[in-house]
Amino acid sequence: MHEIYKFVSGPLVWLAFIIFVGGSLYRLISMAILAKKKDGLVYEYFSLKYAFRSIYHWLIPFCSRNSQQHPWLTLVTFAFHVSLIFTPLFLLAHIILIKESWDISWWFLPEGMADFLTIVVIAGCVFLGIRRIVRPEVRYLTNTSDFIILALVGLPFITGFWSFHQWPGSTFMGILHIFSGEVLLVMIPFTRLSHMIFFPFTRGYIGSEFGAVRNVKDW
Amino acid sequence: MAESAEKMKTSKIIDKGIEEGAANLSSKKIEKVIHDVLQNETGARLKTYVETCIHCGLCSDACHFYLSHDKDPRYSPAGKVKQTIWKILKAKGKVDADFIKKACEIAFTECNLCRRCAMYCPFGIDVSYLISIVRRICFKLGVVPQYIADTAHSHASTLNQMWVKDDEWIDTLFWQEEEAADEIPNLRIPVEKQGADIFYSVIGPEPKFRSQLIYQAAVIMNTAGVNWTMPATPGWDNSDMCMYIGENEMMGRLKKAYFDTAMRLKVKRIVMGECGHAFRSIYDQGNRWLGWKMPPIPVIHAIEFYYELLKEGKIRVAKKYEKGVTFHDPCNIVRGRGLHEMARYVTKAFTREFIEMHPNREHNYCCCAGGGVINCGPPFKKKRVEGDRIKAEQLFAAKSRGAETIIAPCHNCHGGLEDIVHHYGLGMEIKFLGDIIYECMEKPESMGE
Amino acid sequence: MKKRPVKLSAPIIFGLVLCLVMTVFAQEDIVEVADSIFSGKKIRPPVPFHHEAHNEKAKIYECNVCHHVWEGGKKLEYETSEEMECSECHYDTTAAGYPFDVIKAYHDNCKGCHLQKKAGPILCSECHVKQ
Repeated sequence: MHEIYKFVSGPLVWLAFIIFVGGSLYRLISMAILAKKKDGLVYEYFSLKYAFRSIYHWLIPFCSRNSQQHPWLTLVTFAFHVSLIFTPLFLLAHIILIKESWDISWWFLPEGMADFLTIVVIAGCVFLGIRRIVRPEVRYLTNTSDFIILALVGLPFITGFWSFHQWPGSTFMGILHIFSGEVLLVMIPFTRLSHMIFFPFTRGYIGSEFGAVRNVKDW
Repeated sequence: MAESAEKMKTSKIIDKGIEEGAANLSSKKIEKVIHDVLQNETGARLKTYVETCIHCGLCSDACHFYLSHDKDPRYSPAGKVKQTIWKILKAKGKVDADFIKKACEIAFTECNLCRRCAMYCPFGIDVSYLISIVRRICFKLGVVPQYIADTAHSHASTLNQMWVKDDEWIDTLFWQEEEAADEIPNLRIPVEKQGADIFYSVIGPEPKFRSQLIYQAAVIMNTAGVNWTMPATPGWDNSDMCMYIGENEMMGRLKKAYFDTAMRLKVKRIVMGECGHAFRSIYDQGNRWLGWKMPPIPVIHAIEFYYELLKEGKIRVAKKYEKGVTFHDPCNIVRGRGLHEMARYVTKAFTREFIEMHPNREHNYCCCAGGGVINCGPPFKKKRVEGDRIKAEQLFAAKSRGAETIIAPCHNCHGGLEDIVHHYGLGMEIKFLGDIIYECMEKPESMGE
Repeated sequence: MKKRPVKLSAPIIFGLVLCLVMTVFAQEDIVEVADSIFSGKKIRPPVPFHHEAHNEKAKIYECNVCHHVWEGGKKLEYETSEEMECSECHYDTTAAGYPFDVIKAYHDNCKGCHLQKKAGPILCSECHVKQ
């Protein structure tokens, strides 16, 4: 037990973050090099101004026409993504672990709020999973990997929630929580979760084409 | 059930170009061509687009094919990508001739490359680019719908889209000059005028069977006192079906001849007639193939030109067009150039009653003719018209609010909308903006009187 | 700045039940980790800690194993600090006004030792047991 804990909370954390950061950098840099070699136009037409204009309009809910047409999905995905990123970064328990290791700390979420945001993420996973099954246009595009990705995202939150509430087996869940979080980090650069790192670039590029060349909105 | 429907879909339409092209394929050839295209011509964009797509289906509502087929997911943008490029990538090019036939039909006749979905994808994935890759593969395999392939052959042999011979072109210009001179005695169509301000260019179908558009343009030019010219050599045609079949090399040749002609005439800029795809070819795709970030000579579309003339007072409104009008925003000059407000400015100036269709501007539904789809010819006409039922509904709603005339400043849109109006019995009239301006502007003779 | 340690005394009495428990076992035994710096700031449940039982089980006979005194970067071998509150030394409250320093001190002390000895609780839920 102590050995497992030591392992998942020590070397594995380092490994996970190194793979996450290194892998993301590798994906971005190799893509940038490939773009330079094969898609030079991406650099030619990329315009920071219009890239940010586009990113802005697609990050703020209900800015784009598409997000207006799907209000519920917009609300869920927005809440889901914000909670997903925000909660682990500002969770008291995480900050305490960082304090223990590096003696630094920062603002944290009230526990009730963190609990709520965790439920938002879990509910979001469920919602998106059900949507994959019930909406024909989504089901048509869905394969197993889509559910695996949802599970990857949901697991650290479910186990964290379980462990926090000290339901039976919370020690095991605590270990699984740490481990699943690490798996998630490692998978980000190498699965379609990489939409996280590529979003600014795909969005920015099409925003540049629409804005700078075609003089038109893209939202 | 999906299985049998799928079978029906492929077996229903027989196109000679697709059938005969596919008959010549071997799996080895398919694999090699796919490998060559993917290896040599694609890179970060394809890779990122395919790997970033999170299969959310949010592009679906952007597509008129999807909306018109009762939300059949096979017609959604990502659905079409799934059936074509995903499969190709997954199989690493090991696909059979039947697959290529199906992919060809999807890429050429179920997507207008209108880029509406790029505005609906949260990641801005450009599906039209992905479909263009499929078309490129089909082209290199020699599997292209017969009618559009023939049009591309015309481009290759004559540098124009409609097999118009060199002397026929000049003849047409003189003929229209004579005709228009009946109305405005001093009217000229200045051919080969070096150093003119403007090179006015049209697409092949104008001299072929819409020559009155050249007549009308000449009247507008003469009335406005524009220093303009048209070339007497190949290079006059700005249309480009090679762009749409994936014959990029020929697209490059066409655009080179075109820009060379403009440079030879030493014009200050190019004004294009009311055509959408030609604008895309010159402003967005052909120039890039030739290595020009932006066109080497400023290019403006007729809409922008009319707007300038009207703003500068060079053309004036004599009377308002009586019937209620609605405006169809063509993809290539609205999503492709943002001319929707200028178009509305001109339209409203010349018409009594303007009724918006919904959605409009950059969100307008496609005509289902562009992107080379109408050029795939009669075999696919029914499919094309049925694939845009949503357009008929949109037009009908505008009609019920008083719109009798549709203004569509694009040739492909015209063709597509005519078929839709006819098929669904909408009883609406379709006009170019130039038609309205010609009809309602002040003309020299009336000024003289 | 010399850092001085943690004092694990000052019991807080929680009503009758606790009193009873206390009288049954040992008088004045410590049953919970507490520090006045937490008054009004408690987020997680306090850690139940039976001082005598723990030390017996853990075979800790020297007070300053936990109630240490540091001076000049060195732990003083014979000094102890059980008369002090931990937060007298571990008192930084800069981040969000929350006493992270004393939390770190506790965690280092308890979890650090548990990990080293491969005995005792280590996960959040194992110590901060819901009441």
